[in-house]
Amino acid sequence: MTSTTYEPPAPETDLRRRGIRLGDVLFKGIAIVAALAATVLLGLIAWKILQLARPAIQDFGLSFIWTDAWNPVTNDYGALAFVYGTAVTSIIALVLATPLSVAIALFLTEIAPRKVAAPIATMVELLAAIPSVVLGLWGILVFGPWVRDYLEPWLQDVLGFLPMFSGTPSQAGILPAALVLTIMIIPITSAICRELFIRVPQELMDGSLALGSTRWEAIRGVLLTYAAPGIAAAVLLGLGRAFGEAIAVNQTIGNANIIPTSWFEPGNSLGSKIAAEYAGATSVEQASSILYLAAILMVISLTTNVIAQVIVVRFERARRAV
Amino acid sequence: MSTVPTAVDPYDITQRSNGLRRRRIVEKIFGVVAIASALLACAILVTVLATTLYKGFSQLDLTFFTKPRPLFGEKGGIADALVGSAVIVTMAMLMAIPVAILVAIYMAEYARPRVSKGLRVVLDVLNGVPAIVVGIFVFGLLVVGNGQSAIFGAFALAILMLPMVARATQEILEVVPQSLRHASLALGVSKWRTTWNVILPAAIGGILTGVVIAVARIAGETAPLLFTSSIAANQVSLDISGALPTLPVMIYENSESPDPAAQAAGWAAAVVLIGFVLVLNILAKFFAGRKRRQLEGA
Amino acid sequence: MKRVLALGVLVVAAVATAAFAAQTQTASARPSAGSLVGTGATFPFPLISKWIPAVDEALGIRITYTPTGSGTGIAQITARTVDFGGSDAPLSPDQLTACKGCVVIPWALAGLSMPYNIPGLNGRLRLDGTTLANIYLGTITNWNSPFIKRLNPNLNLPDLRITPVYRSDGSGSTYAFTGYLSEISPQWKSKVGQNTTVNFPTGTGARGSSGVAGVVKSTAGAITYVDAAYSITNKFQFALLKNRAGGFATPGVRGVTRALCDLPARVTSLSQLKIVDPPRKCGRLAYPLSTFTYVIVPTSSGDKAADLRRFVYWAVTQGQKFGPPLFFVPLPKQVQGFAYREIKKIQS
Repeated sequence: MTSTTYEPPAPETDLRRRGIRLGDVLFKGIAIVAALAATVLLGLIAWKILQLARPAIQDFGLSFIWTDAWNPVTNDYGALAFVYGTAVTSIIALVLATPLSVAIALFLTEIAPRKVAAPIATMVELLAAIPSVVLGLWGILVFGPWVRDYLEPWLQDVLGFLPMFSGTPSQAGILPAALVLTIMIIPITSAICRELFIRVPQELMDGSLALGSTRWEAIRGVLLTYAAPGIAAAVLLGLGRAFGEAIAVNQTIGNANIIPTSWFEPGNSLGSKIAAEYAGATSVEQASSILYLAAILMVISLTTNVIAQVIVVRFERARRAV
Repeated sequence: MSTVPTAVDPYDITQRSNGLRRRRIVEKIFGVVAIASALLACAILVTVLATTLYKGFSQLDLTFFTKPRPLFGEKGGIADALVGSAVIVTMAMLMAIPVAILVAIYMAEYARPRVSKGLRVVLDVLNGVPAIVVGIFVFGLLVVGNGQSAIFGAFALAILMLPMVARATQEILEVVPQSLRHASLALGVSKWRTTWNVILPAAIGGILTGVVIAVARIAGETAPLLFTSSIAANQVSLDISGALPTLPVMIYENSESPDPAAQAAGWAAAVVLIGFVLVLNILAKFFAGRKRRQLEGA
Repeated sequence: MKRVLALGVLVVAAVATAAFAAQTQTASARPSAGSLVGTGATFPFPLISKWIPAVDEALGIRITYTPTGSGTGIAQITARTVDFGGSDAPLSPDQLTACKGCVVIPWALAGLSMPYNIPGLNGRLRLDGTTLANIYLGTITNWNSPFIKRLNPNLNLPDLRITPVYRSDGSGSTYAFTGYLSEISPQWKSKVGQNTTVNFPTGTGARGSSGVAGVVKSTAGAITYVDAAYSITNKFQFALLKNRAGGFATPGVRGVTRALCDLPARVTSLSQLKIVDPPRKCGRLAYPLSTFTYVIVPTSSGDKAADLRRFVYWAVTQGQKFGPPLFFVPLPKQVQGFAYREIKKIQS
């Protein structure tokens, strides 16, 4: 019979036996570096834009945002005309696109039979796939003249007493640009709304229908109320897209550095101005003023995005509580 | 059956909404409005696509694809812009996809929930930065003093691609069942091998969907390229140290020209670009379907 | 998965083959000694387009020039993102300082035409500087205005709103046009002034010479200022402009040549090359809206210096013969002399 004494096992010095593997460390390290890189990139973008805009920010201060001027001869700059253009075109696009998007999403989720919904959903998604420069090309050569020859005269006939529909119809202006933006926003907003509406619990809708409501009443009373925060977030995301669109707007808005009273007239927007003039800015004041415009645009886009995120987070928290 | 309603009796449900007939009318109106909206969206799409095809199709002969863009007052094609776009998009993919997948892996596999949430915010904010701001950023950072270059253009497009691919990858990684991970780790496979050889292949459908959608989006981006790769020779070139011509920039420049030949070339280039984007979107749907079938079978 | 990879390889192979095929088809016969990249003014682009194949043939230098506007030309050469810049506007003292040692060399000369789109007009429109200033200031808004009628008693001017079109990008054409208006109209000078980008009080903006030409083509009632070659190529009607001698002149070779009558016998500085609004002694045929256009080259151009000197020298000598069909006037001798002296300053 062998006598054995109990010996505690020696502490592991071999890393591999301890379960720490070189491959794991390396891999995690690379992944951390990638994540850091993404974060640093975001910070770098913000910093670089602000750094390039600093001379203008120091010269003009915050009043730049509500000053209406753009004179490279006297080096006097102000962003108001562009903020106005961005705001007006985006808001018009929002007002037109939101009900349309909600209606499309409702059609796809509640009304259409599955066989019809699939191809139409695909078509709406394809609308999102059209590059903005192609929409702008169509806007300049086809849509703009149509708006000038048919839509704007009709609007003037019907609503010409309003100042925004007065003036001479023109193929390049606030209205054509806003309509092109509408076409761009619809796919985004309707796709998000569609996702939202699918997730509405069927019991809630069924309950309403069981109580005798019509389908529209169920939608209005239950689905839309339930999804309202999500719709708000979708609207904001579409708005953010509209704010940032530079190319298609530049092609259709007419590039006039003024605040037009009529929506038929040409105006300008932040993105469009940057695209038109940045490469050709011939003085430091002009270049940094354009960067100041870019900084304003960045802030507006980020704010809209962040608000949309906050709404989504609150929405999810509320849903989980239900 | 409906009668002229008088006082509303709150306990009589058929009286509640002021008459069944009116409610049915409202219901029908809603239905019509919804259908009309969907049809309007489809009509717009069809109009844009049909116009582009109609105006551009006549230009699409063989010389169009083999001759470069013309100089002033001549006829030419899009060969140089086509090659340039292909090169720049490929480079952007090579730059963005590995980094995006690594970020997503970090978020899904390694990071604490708070860090993961923070990274989600970072990616979503990055996604919201307008393309033109990205263009100015790369211009100010890299182009000033060094000159334009296809590499800088690709870098700008990669910045746009990164958040899209990263978020798509992250979401699909979260859907991969935990049982796969546990089984692999229980068998003694190291964590990194688990991720690389087990989880990623399971998620590949969703990743490819995200990649394809992102590529379709950046293939048509003009603003970043305006500042980084817009001054290029009218010949086919593979020299990535300098600027290369691209389809979106070419369409942008031709769209404002009064020359009917230039406009026609712009339409034709738009046909090619839309065709490419459409093919990619169909591919994305194919991969998405594959992903769904795979995960359902797993 | 394998199928996807195979598809990917096929696509890459297809693109590579196409690229190779296209490249062999378009590569020039002679191997090029060097290549130069430039950008800037759209004004001389028709002429430069003719130069590019000729320079490749004669000197073996491959030139790339993208018309983006004089403002961009100045900005890009200042940032040294290109080898040379094109501009119709000479550099201001501030811009010269920022450019850190650049020479500005005139290399082409033409008139800025005023094309218009008035459907059904039974003749050529005549305008003068004051009327143009008022149109662009927004004080004259309709083509049947009495001020325009007075200059064109025999024309059937319609009741049509005027749309003045201007360059939205930094433009030497704008510089020349606003310079002319500032000379003629003190109101313009104080209200708007002269620069490559100005605050136009009214009208529509468009990018590049082709952009403004495009708007005029598609908008009834529009008028713009653009290099004569663009008007000719697009078959626009352009206005006759009244000069100081009382004649109504066209921006052809003869009209622009007459505008040079006041050039000094020896040109020593760029300020002597201002030829808008020529004096009365230049005669009734002198076109009042002519401008030189310049190439901007850094004096320390490294290994590109030799090619740049050869290119610019060729441009101001042999290149000029391509000009007249496009309404560019060959550079007068004293301007060539000035150019030679400036070219010598381009060093490594």
